[in-house]
Amino acid sequence: MKIFKKCLFAGLAALALMGAAQVASAQETDQVGRAPYLESLKGKKVIFVPISQGMDLNQAWVMVWQRHAARYGFSLEVRDPNGDTNAGIRAMQGAIAEKPDLIIVQNPDVQTYARLLKQAQAAGIKVLQVNMQSATQTDSYVGNDWIEMGRLEMGELAKHCTGPNAVSHKVVWLAGVQTGAANIYMRTGIDEVLKANPELQLVSDQPADYISEKARQITETVLQQHPDLCGIMGIWDNAEVGAGAAVVAAGKQDQVTIVTNGAGAATGCESIKNGLLDVIFNFNAPIQGEIAAQQISELLQHPDRKAGSEKTIFFGPITRVDKTNATGRNCWKPEDIK
Amino acid sequence: MPGSGKSDDRRLGFKVSQEVVVVAISVMLFVVFSATLNNFLSQGNIIAILKNVSILGTLAVGMGFVVVGRGIDLTMVAVMVVGVAFSIWISTWGIDFTLAVICGAVLVAAIGLFTGVMVAIAEVPPIFATLAIASSVYGSGRIVFASDVLYAPPNIAWLKFVGNGSVFGIPMSVVIFGAVAALMGLFLRKTRFGRLVYATGDNPNAARTTGLPTRPIIVTQYVISALIAFTAGIIMTGLVTGIDTRLYNSSLIYDVLLVVVLGGIGLSGGQGGVRNVIAGTILVGILTNGMTILNFSYTSQNLIKSVILLSALAIDAIINPRDEQTSQSGDI
Repeated sequence: MKIFKKCLFAGLAALALMGAAQVASAQETDQVGRAPYLESLKGKKVIFVPISQGMDLNQAWVMVWQRHAARYGFSLEVRDPNGDTNAGIRAMQGAIAEKPDLIIVQNPDVQTYARLLKQAQAAGIKVLQVNMQSATQTDSYVGNDWIEMGRLEMGELAKHCTGPNAVSHKVVWLAGVQTGAANIYMRTGIDEVLKANPELQLVSDQPADYISEKARQITETVLQQHPDLCGIMGIWDNAEVGAGAAVVAAGKQDQVTIVTNGAGAATGCESIKNGLLDVIFNFNAPIQGEIAAQQISELLQHPDRKAGSEKTIFFGPITRVDKTNATGRNCWKPEDIK
Repeated sequence: MPGSGKSDDRRLGFKVSQEVVVVAISVMLFVVFSATLNNFLSQGNIIAILKNVSILGTLAVGMGFVVVGRGIDLTMVAVMVVGVAFSIWISTWGIDFTLAVICGAVLVAAIGLFTGVMVAIAEVPPIFATLAIASSVYGSGRIVFASDVLYAPPNIAWLKFVGNGSVFGIPMSVVIFGAVAALMGLFLRKTRFGRLVYATGDNPNAARTTGLPTRPIIVTQYVISALIAFTAGIIMTGLVTGIDTRLYNSSLIYDVLLVVVLGGIGLSGGQGGVRNVIAGTILVGILTNGMTILNFSYTSQNLIKSVILLSALAIDAIINPRDEQTSQSGDI
C-alpha cells in the first residue's frame, strides 16, 4: 500500500513537472505580442528628410535608426537636401508620392513644409517630426522643448549676470536662423527670463546662421561696444565656438560666460575643455534617436489608425554640461553608437 | 593703364570712377557712424572691422585677379572649405598637421590646375566650368568627410598664432590679408606676367594673335586663386579653431564677387586692381560693423546692404555711362 502510494505521488509529480515544462516551452516560443510586433515592422518603408546629414545630431539619429531598421527588417531611406530648402521641398514631394508607411522630417523652419505635411497626412502617411517642428502638428514630435531650452540658457546667464557681483547685466543672444522652430520658441523662453529679471540687458540679438565665423564676427564687434559684457547665449555648440574664440582673443574668458546647447558630441566637450564654451545644455542626440525609434515602432504598429488622428509629443532629456561633467555619456563619439 | 577704368571725365578734371564712388560712400558712412555710435572710432573697433573682413578680402583679392583676366572663379569657397577640411581630415590619421596643410595646398593647386585647363584649353566658359567644379569639389568633400564641421587639432602653435597672434598690434589675419593684397598688387602692376593678365583680360583674341601665352596665363590664374582661397581657409581655421564646410551653401561666394564688382573691377576684364578690391571690402566691413552695433535685424541688414550696394552701382552707371567700347567688350 505504502509503495503504491509512493508510486502514485511520483507519477503525479512527474506529470506535473512535464506539464510545467510544456507551459514553459510554450511561453518561450511565443512571447506575448512579439509575433504581431515583428510582423508589423517587417518590410515597412520609412523615409527621413533631414535638414542636412552633415550635422552631428543627424548622424547620431540615423545611426540609431539604421540599427533599429536592420533589427526589425524595415527600410530607412535618408533623402538629404543638404541644407537646401528647395531640394528639401522636392525631397518631401517625392517622399509623399512614394507613399511610404512613415515620413520622418526635420523642418528647416516652421513654414516651408507646413502644407506638405498636411498633404502627407491627407494621403494617409504618418509623419514623425524630429527636433525642429513645423507649424503643422502631425502624428508625433520627438525633440527638445525649445521654450525650456531658451529659459535654461538665459536662466544660466541670469545666475551670472544679476546680483551685486556681476560684472554687468549685459547679455547677448546669438540666434541661429530666425524662422527656425528652435529660434522662435527659444526666444519665448528667453523673454520669460528677461521679464523675470528686468535688470538683465539684452544688448545684441543677431543671427549667426549656425556658422562659427559669423558668430565670431558678431561677438568681436559687440565686445568692442560693450567691453563689460557678462554673458553670451547661443543655439549650437559648433557655432558658438566662434563666439568663444572672439572672447578668448579679447582675453575675457573669465569675464564672459558662454552658454549654448548641443547634441552632446565629444567635440562640444573638447570646446568646454579648451575654454571656448562654459556650459552646454546637452540634448543627447543618441537618446533622442532612441525615443524617436520607439515612436517609429509605435507608428508602424498601428496601420489601422488614421494618419494624424492622434498627436503625441515627446521631449527628450536635457543635461547641463560644464567642466565638471564633460565626460562619459555626455560626450559621445559616432563610433560609440555603432 | 592697369588700375584705372576706361572712361575719362575730363570736365571734372579727375576721373570719378566707381572706386571713387565707393570710397566716398565708405567715408560718408564712417563719418556718420563715428558721430553717432559710441566706440565706433576706437582703435579696437577699427581693428575689429579689418579682422572681420580679412577672410572676405583675401578671397576677393583672388577673385579680382581672375576677373581682371576676364574669368570668374566660383570654386573659391568650395576649394577653401574642402582644402582645409582635407588637411584636417588627413591629420586625424596621425600625419603632422603642418605636413597635412602642405598636402591640402597641393590638392587645392591641383583643383585650380584642373579648373584652369577646363577654362583655357577645353574652353568651357568660366562661369559654367567653375560652377560645376565647385559643386563636384564640395560634393566629393561632403562624401569623404561625413561631418560638416571639422576641428583642427589643438595646440598647433603656428595656427594659434594665425588666429590670435598680432604683429605691432595688428592681428595676424589682417597682416595675412594685407600681405596677399600687397603681393598681388605688385604682381599685377610690376611684373610682366601681371601686365599679360591685363592684356588677356582686355582682349583675349588680340592677346593670342599677338603671340601672348594666354592659355598658360589663364591656367596660372586659377591655380593662384585656389591657393589664395586655401590661405583664407587657414585664416578662418586659426580664428575659429575649425572649418565649417556648410559655408559653401552660404552667400559667401556672391559676397566675394560683389566686393570685386563693387570696388570697380568690371566683369568684362582688363581693368581694375587690388585697390578696387580693398575699397569694396572696406565698404562692406564698415557697413556690417555699423549695423551689428546698431543691432539691426537680419532682414533690415540685408535690405540696407543691398540698397547701398545697388546705389553705388547706379551712381557709377550715371557718372560713367556705357560707351561703345564697354558695350562691345560685354559683361558676363
